[in-house]
Amino acid sequence: MSSLRPIQSTADQAIMSAAVGLGRALRECGLSASVDAEHTFLRSLAEIDVRDRTQVFWAGHAAFVHSPDELAVYEVIFERFWDGQALIYAERGSEHGESDARMQGSHHGGEALPQFGGEAREKAPLDGNNQRAHQDIPTAEGDTGTSNQEQGILAAWSDEEILSQRENLDYQENELLALRLLAQEIRRKAPTRQSRRSRPSSRGHRFDVRGTLRESMATDGEAFRLAFSAPTLRPRRLLFLCDVSGSMERYSRVLLASLKAAVGAARRAEAFVFATRLTRLTKSLGGHDLEIALDKARAAVPDWSGGTRIGQAMQDFNNGYGRRGFARGAIVLVVSDGWDRGDPKVLEAEVRRLQLQSRRLVWINPRPMSVDQQPLAIGMRAAMPYIDDFVPGHDPRAVAGLAHLIGGLGDGRPMRRTTAPPAFET
Amino acid sequence: MPGFNSIHEMRSALTDQRYLMDDGLATVVFLALRLRKPLLVEGEPGVGKTELAKALAAATGTPLIRLQCYEGIDVHHALYDWDYPRQLLQLRAGGHTPLYSEEFLLRRPLLEALAHPGAVLLIDELDRADDEFEAFLLEFLSDFQVTIPEVGVVRAQEPPVVIITSNRTRDLHEALKRRCLYHWIDHPDLQREVAIARARLPHVGQQLADQVCAFVQDLRWLDLYRSPGVGETLDWVQAFHALGHHQMDPDVVSSTLGTLLKERDDLERIRAGDLPAAVARSEARAHELRQNNYQ
Repeated sequence: MSSLRPIQSTADQAIMSAAVGLGRALRECGLSASVDAEHTFLRSLAEIDVRDRTQVFWAGHAAFVHSPDELAVYEVIFERFWDGQALIYAERGSEHGESDARMQGSHHGGEALPQFGGEAREKAPLDGNNQRAHQDIPTAEGDTGTSNQEQGILAAWSDEEILSQRENLDYQENELLALRLLAQEIRRKAPTRQSRRSRPSSRGHRFDVRGTLRESMATDGEAFRLAFSAPTLRPRRLLFLCDVSGSMERYSRVLLASLKAAVGAARRAEAFVFATRLTRLTKSLGGHDLEIALDKARAAVPDWSGGTRIGQAMQDFNNGYGRRGFARGAIVLVVSDGWDRGDPKVLEAEVRRLQLQSRRLVWINPRPMSVDQQPLAIGMRAAMPYIDDFVPGHDPRAVAGLAHLIGGLGDGRPMRRTTAPPAFET
Repeated sequence: MPGFNSIHEMRSALTDQRYLMDDGLATVVFLALRLRKPLLVEGEPGVGKTELAKALAAATGTPLIRLQCYEGIDVHHALYDWDYPRQLLQLRAGGHTPLYSEEFLLRRPLLEALAHPGAVLLIDELDRADDEFEAFLLEFLSDFQVTIPEVGVVRAQEPPVVIITSNRTRDLHEALKRRCLYHWIDHPDLQREVAIARARLPHVGQQLADQVCAFVQDLRWLDLYRSPGVGETLDWVQAFHALGHHQMDPDVVSSTLGTLLKERDDLERIRAGDLPAAVARSEARAHELRQNNYQ
């Protein structure tokens, strides 16, 4: 606690500065610690034994941490806080989670935002200077993206041969144009599902007893008009799992960029990208920083042209987000060329699990079939039996049909593919 | 409602209700009671999120009011509704009670919680409700008052203790999280899990409880599709007990494994493994645990 200014060192002031300092340090590490949280923490300190490390730790945890992913960062910062060390720049929680416009540094493009990263590097944030702390407060209503969304698996693949082969795949302008048209189509005909919420409707089929009674109050208890209700429609969740390794990157980038306008606003879309690890992009999908988020996702991959472990990435998804129900009832779109460097058995099992969770599993593969006479296409073959719709992404007509397909998925039981999968030759 | 003066006091009151908590949870629950802030608890299924609210209500001697969330839940399910059939009867009978008075008001859980001083309000699985309901709840949680147009503002004399649980099927809004204290309940360690099993199932022998808990602890290290929670451990212990076994037996493990694991792939994987060796390992760990307890 030596860094507290001695002039104001009444006990209260010292505690307050320390609490504010902790909040600020956490904020700098990407946690969404607000002024409210600092206030809560201060109030908590009055109720517990501040000499007891465990109690202070958990009081701070309750106030500042909002998800299990944030625990690791909190532990590090708290350790420093408790030891009375200056709370300068501990490692940022992650460099490749969602992009946060408030991050300092040149790479986020938010030059207009207040930045104090540079100054704070020389100065301990635990100096009790509240003024500067206030500049960096997250806005009141949420959207304070945390930066810890990535699931960590990594492996550095390096294989010159694959590298060169993958680079060869180039996209025609009309292929990319097809993607942009797709976005427009989806926007016009967004998939919906029936909600459990109902609304009064004269054309509805469900007799609304309460509504009828309510209306009859006005007519002295005589039910002159019968009320009916109908279920409302809600946008169905779209889930994108996009491969960003090698030549897939450009394709995925165009796809996500064109789709974000269409699906981002509806708040019912989730996007993940993977190469050798899975990164969640959803919050970026709604905002303006998608490009930055994609750059960071790419930068996080040690050898982004090397190869993909699709099975691993899907396992990460299934075990984490999937188990939490992200794919339930969703239309899942996997965008990948199916060049898998992992175990095809893993891929097969994980695609099967993904299909079981989803309403419909669509796989968009921009690679022409002829190129797929490669041993690596084994991954694609393993996944094939569990894919409901296989869309050759290099074919503009097929891509155009995709919007029609997605929009046409009505209610009722999940529909599975009825035709045989396209044949692959070994 | 009896307040607790220290964490220790609260903890022993909850232990009397056979709810065992670690230091972290104890601190946070105590703070939630003292600061009168809602507590948002998350964790894997079966770690005792809902049980916490039940135990807390029992320990404080106040009613537990439970609001189970689901998609499409609205004001009429959560807050209040008018008793139309009775209003209609009154209208027909020509009574003089005003139609929109307290007498015809149906209290749903949230309103009920405002009426009982210091009640424990459990808002279960909030992630299942939709955004609209979450937004509505924000107002309730910050002021503990609601406005019913025909009646006026209803305010709590003493705000309820609110426990919110979520399984994280979607991200809750940041604004809601800011109004709450947050805690993530983890799976308990071996010693605590044994203690929980012993407290919850006092009729079961020590050896069986130790062995089963040790076995389950080992399972959690495997990368299973669905790790078993404490609830499932308790079910499994009871399964052995119901079949008249006082210790684990590889054959019985295999036949009762469905009580513990609910995914076919997981079941096949464990059954295909070396069960006798796994059982022997957990017996060794259980033995070690007992030795340590004696010392």
